[in-house]
Amino acid sequence: MLDSGAVPKRNLPYRDDEDATVVGKLAPVPVVKPGKRAPRLEQVGGPGSPRSFELALDETIVGRAVQAHICVPSSLISRRHMALKKNGPQFSCTDLDSANGVLLNGVKAHSALLHEGDTLQIGDVVFVFREGD
Amino acid sequence: MAFFVRFWGTRGSIPTPGYATRRYGGNTSCVEMRVDDTRFICDGGTGLCELGLQLLQSEARPADVHMLFSHMHWDHIQGFPFFLPAYETDMSLHVYEVAAGEDRIRRLLHGQMRSEYFPVTFSDLGARIVSGDLGDGETSVEGVKIRCFEQNHPGRSFAYSFEKDGKRVVYATDNEVDLTLENREQSMEKFSALRKIPPALVAFARGADLLIADGQYTDEEYAAKVGWGHARANTVVDLAVQAEVKQCAIFHHDPMHSDDDIDRIVEQARERAASFGSNATLFGAREGLELKIE
Repeated sequence: MLDSGAVPKRNLPYRDDEDATVVGKLAPVPVVKPGKRAPRLEQVGGPGSPRSFELALDETIVGRAVQAHICVPSSLISRRHMALKKNGPQFSCTDLDSANGVLLNGVKAHSALLHEGDTLQIGDVVFVFREGD
Repeated sequence: MAFFVRFWGTRGSIPTPGYATRRYGGNTSCVEMRVDDTRFICDGGTGLCELGLQLLQSEARPADVHMLFSHMHWDHIQGFPFFLPAYETDMSLHVYEVAAGEDRIRRLLHGQMRSEYFPVTFSDLGARIVSGDLGDGETSVEGVKIRCFEQNHPGRSFAYSFEKDGKRVVYATDNEVDLTLENREQSMEKFSALRKIPPALVAFARGADLLIADGQYTDEEYAAKVGWGHARANTVVDLAVQAEVKQCAIFHHDPMHSDDDIDRIVEQARERAASFGSNATLFGAREGLELKIE
């Protein structure tokens, strides 16, 4: 019969409350505070930059007109140049028959679905689209 | 005249949903062209499903849709049974054969809806299916001149040119141009050398406002995929350069390529075009992108 005293003591490099499958020391994962970053346009070039606009509306008009939701005082953009539309979690951009068009990542686009990091250039104004969290 | 092109599916071979492909998209080949009030659809890959939904929801719902297929491989027809306008009794779908008297495309669309493959049969479709053809390789639909060009692909494939009022778009997918190059051997050894495209293809694409072309492989990948029916992206660049097109969309993305892979392919394509003195705009075809041809 084997009594407990006969079992050799293990000489382990970890404490009893540690997971035996983990080798080495793990860095703690930082706790992220609750709160979301909203979808937004970051203006990285042109008059007024740098600045950021939250895209909270179903449709956001970008243009030179003071009535535009995002007004940029540049003579190279049209009064109503571009619309950003929200469709559920997805955003799209549409050229509103502007004089100089919309360049999506360097390609003249009439409309497009937007993704994180897309660059939108209208005249001398450059935006980067951010999807948010 | 208003001429718009929209990409509904840009992927080759098989749909590739997922995070890594969401920018360029995972749906297979489907491109819509709107020329004034006339709608053309090039290929019926899985992108056709969403296009159908959009057509039914649009305020200016068309009564006629004109469909042209590059060829009938799976990735170019799989969306057809899910194209809801085909079930509407007030719709007419005009399906074009490349030559008069052929019944190939209609027969194959019919075949993929046999009950072994799909629960609804072709004859149950509500829409009027109208067979058209390109006669001697050319026809006109509502003032839009359409021409076709036979390509190099297993089982045959065709490129199409759409032209109105001096504006022209060429849709040329599933074409292994590499096998037809005049300096093919050199092109396999020295990637940087300009690839001599067959003059007939250059003439077909000459001066297009937009060329949509299959550029599925990188130079490095191609050696293992010779004969599979697809071109190297850099060969498409050389076609765009020699045909002096204004814009070129690299299309039919490889299902194994992530968005980042395609970004790299496009970046190299732009560098190559610039090295040959071209100012053509090159880009990767991307689902949801709509261009105005002007």
